[in-house]
Amino acid sequence: MIRIMGIVSLVCGLLIVTAHRGTLEPIRRNQELIMQETVAQLLPGVAKQVTYAASADGELKVWNEPEPPPQRIIAGYDSSGALIGVVLQAAERGYADMIVGMYAYSPAKQAVIGFKVVEMKETPGLGDKISTDPRFLSNFRELDATHPIVTVKSGTKKNAWEVDAISGATISSRAVGRMLQKSTQQMAPVIARNRARLEKGE
Amino acid sequence: METFLNGLWKQNPSFVQVLGMCPTLAVTNSVRNAIAMGIATLFVLVCSNALISMVRKLVPKEVRIATYILIIATFVTIVEYMIKAISVPVYKALGAFIALIVVNCIILGRAEAFASKNGVFRSILDGLGMGLGFSFALLCLASVREILGAGTFLGYPLFGPNFQPWVLFLLPSGGFFTLGAWLLLFSAWKQRGKEAAA
Repeated sequence: MIRIMGIVSLVCGLLIVTAHRGTLEPIRRNQELIMQETVAQLLPGVAKQVTYAASADGELKVWNEPEPPPQRIIAGYDSSGALIGVVLQAAERGYADMIVGMYAYSPAKQAVIGFKVVEMKETPGLGDKISTDPRFLSNFRELDATHPIVTVKSGTKKNAWEVDAISGATISSRAVGRMLQKSTQQMAPVIARNRARLEKGE
Repeated sequence: METFLNGLWKQNPSFVQVLGMCPTLAVTNSVRNAIAMGIATLFVLVCSNALISMVRKLVPKEVRIATYILIIATFVTIVEYMIKAISVPVYKALGAFIALIVVNCIILGRAEAFASKNGVFRSILDGLGMGLGFSFALLCLASVREILGAGTFLGYPLFGPNFQPWVLFLLPSGGFFTLGAWLLLFSAWKQRGKEAAA
């Protein structure tokens, strides 16, 4: 009995390892392609992208490894080599599950200048509007990050750091606001400290 | 041929046996997801049926279910890698439901009821029939839900800008309504066939 189970397990293990090795490169290529497309959408006019890894002490280093670093910052440059902005990933619990988003941050404006949902399981037709509603997405054209970002009731936005929520999708909208607030509070000082390095692209 | 047609029509796993309802309801809010889930389940059914049929005389009765689950889980892992390699958006859309193919009762049911008692060729035919039958059912549900719930088919808009999507059909309750309507239609169809034959 044990011998048969062992043989079946061995065959299954070999099949899994073969499939894993065979698909490793296409999976990595797919993820890289999606990342590049997202950065191009968030930072229009980007001609060059440089990936940085943030260390625990807040230092940024250029990352050339095939596997992405735990804390990744992608800097986007135009054709003249000038820094347009940086793209970061953030996540927060939404109504159904975790919402994972990517946002563009401008070190010069100290503001969020773009946002895109990359993963979510929010209610179709309601919460999932956070990725499609043009009025909601217009919040992130120049969202002030010098002040903690807050989500306000639909139609009551008064300040540049406020996110105007979607009516009927308040929990999802608030999750996006919280995600940006936490991430910008943590990463904006790191970006400010390394701004000269980011602008040189080194 | 009868083995193949059984799964596709007479013993359709979703509409006749009412098996595998969890993915049937969960992933049919878009046609693209339904096709991906259908192909993934078909692949796992055919491969697991084939391997289980090959080892059926070697596996002791006491550990047969554990062995079947091990084999099914292997092919689910392989299909998960393949979907991720082909399309990351589809992989993300299907989420945990790819991994949950392991516990889809259609697959374990066919392993126990058919592949463990029949030869490799017939088991492959059975897997093909059942897999295509399941995919057909997913496609039926997803077509109705996407067309009414989003006004699109495979992402392409079907109606003009004035179309007001019937969002209910994209929600779980809409899935139940659509499934109920298809089950009713399928039963009525079968009943009429029986009456005509009598």
